[in-house]
Amino acid sequence: MVAADGVGVRFFFNRHLRVVTSGEARLRGRGTVTWGLRDVSFSIGRGEGTALIGRSGSGKTTLLRVLAGVFAPDQGRVELDGRVASVLSVDAGLLALLTGRENAVLLGVIAGLSRQEAIRSLENVKARSGLDEAFERPVLTYSQGMKARLGFAVAEETNPEILLLDEVHEALDHEFRDFLHQRAMEILDSGGVVIAAGHDHPMLARLCTRALWLEDGQVREEGRFESVQPHYLEAVHVHD
Amino acid sequence: MQTEQELRPTAARTSASDGRRASVRRALRSLRSWCDLLLALTESDLRFRYGRGPWRFIRWLFEPVALVGVYLVLVSFVLDRPGRAVGLSLTCAVVPFQLVMLTIGNAMSALDLRRPIILNMAFKRMLMPISSALTESTGFGASLFLIVAMMAIYRIAPTWNVLWFPLVFLVNLLLAIAAAYAGILLGIWLRELRAFVVSFIRILFFLGPGLVPLAQTSADVQTLLRLNPMTGLFEAYRDVFLYGDRPAAWELLIPLAATALLLLIFVPIYRSEQRQFAKVI
Repeated sequence: MVAADGVGVRFFFNRHLRVVTSGEARLRGRGTVTWGLRDVSFSIGRGEGTALIGRSGSGKTTLLRVLAGVFAPDQGRVELDGRVASVLSVDAGLLALLTGRENAVLLGVIAGLSRQEAIRSLENVKARSGLDEAFERPVLTYSQGMKARLGFAVAEETNPEILLLDEVHEALDHEFRDFLHQRAMEILDSGGVVIAAGHDHPMLARLCTRALWLEDGQVREEGRFESVQPHYLEAVHVHD
Repeated sequence: MQTEQELRPTAARTSASDGRRASVRRALRSLRSWCDLLLALTESDLRFRYGRGPWRFIRWLFEPVALVGVYLVLVSFVLDRPGRAVGLSLTCAVVPFQLVMLTIGNAMSALDLRRPIILNMAFKRMLMPISSALTESTGFGASLFLIVAMMAIYRIAPTWNVLWFPLVFLVNLLLAIAAAYAGILLGIWLRELRAFVVSFIRILFFLGPGLVPLAQTSADVQTLLRLNPMTGLFEAYRDVFLYGDRPAAWELLIPLAATALLLLIFVPIYRSEQRQFAKVI
C-alpha cells in the first residue's frame, strides 16, 4: 500500500549554509550538496502501523514529507495506494491570520474536497476539533494542541486511508491523544496505513506494530517495533 | 440478428467513445478542483491583504486613489505639465501598472505567506502565481471606480470603444500572471534583494509613458518606449477611456509577446523549482 524504492532527497546549500533550490545553486555556482535521505526502500502493507524512529535530523520528517508529496524525491520513487492525510507539524498547515473556520475550508480544499464539500464539513470539523467558539478566532490565538486538533479534524474529513503523523500527538492533551489513537486504530482496522514519527515511543508502540529506524538519512533497521526499538535505544545510550 | 464480426466494430466504437467520455469527465473534475483550489488560495490571500476589520472595505476602495494621488500631485502641481485630462491619463497608466507591480510583490512573498501549507500538504503549486494575480485583480475592481470617477470629473463621456476594455484587461491580467511566475522565483533566488527587484520593476513605469501620454514624448524615444510592454497597456487604457478610440494592435500585441516570452522562460523553471519550495522556506 505504501512503498519506497531507493528514495533519495538532496538538499543544496549555498556558501552561507542556507538551503537553496537546485536552480539557485546552479545560478550562484558555489555551495554544497547533502543527502537528507539516501537509498531508502521499504514496503508497508494494508493494516500496518509503522513507526519512524531515530535521532533528530535522521530523516524522519523528510521521509514523511516525501510520502505526503511535499518533497519530490530526487532519486528513486514512492508509491501510495489510497487517500493520504498528513499532519506533519504542530502548525498542521494552518495559516495564523485566518480563523479556524477559514483554515478548515482552505485545508479541506487542498486536501481534495470540493469547496462545497469543505463548507458542508465545517460543523463536523468544529465538533470533532472540540474548539467551540475558538473556531471563529484567528489561529494565532490557539495553543499548539488546539492547532493539532484542528489540523487533524480537517484531515479526517477526507476519510484518509493513509495517515501520516509527525510528532503531532506529542503536542496533544490526553483526551485528544486517545481520540487520535482510536481514529488511527480504525484506519488500521479498515486496512489503511498509519505512519507516525516521534520520540514518544510508548505512544508509537500503541499504534505501530512495525518500526523503521532511520540514521543519517538511511534505513538502519526495519522490523517489528518491539525488536527494532530496543536496538535503537541501545545504540543511542552507547553513543551517549 | 448481427453476426459476431458485425458486432465487434460497434463494441470497439462504444468502448472508444466511453473512454473519451471518461477522460472528458476526468478533465472536468480536475478543472473544477483547480478552480476550487484557486478560489480558496485567493480568498485566504485576500484576508491577508485587506485584513478582517471594518477598514478593509475603505482600504480596498482608497488604496488606488492614494497611489494615483501621489503622481497626480507630482504632475499637476509640481511639474505643472499641460495635457488633456491629466488625472485620467495618469490613472490609465497607474492602474494597469499597479496590477502587474502588486502581483509581482504578492508573488515574491507568496511562499512565506503559505509556508505552513507548503510544508504540510501537497497541492498544485503551479496555481500560486495565478492566485497572486487574482488577489491583486480584486484590488483592481476599486481602480475601475477611480477611472469612472476621473471620467466624470473631466466630463469625458464613454464611447462604444469602451467595450474593448475586457480584452485590454485580459492582456493586462495575462502579463501579471506571467510576471508572477518570475516573481515567485525571484522571491526565493534573490531573497535579500527583494526591495531592489521591486524598485527595478518600478522603473518600467518611468521608462514608459506613465506620467505623460506617448504622443507627448519625443519622437526619438517613442520607438524605444514601445518595446516596454507596459507602454502598450498604458496607451490601450487611454485609448479606451480617455480618447474613446479602439486600441491599436501593437498596444496589445507587444504586452502579449512579453507575456509569451515570460511564460516560455519561467514556467518550465518554475515547474522544476516548485518541487523544492518546501526545502527552502
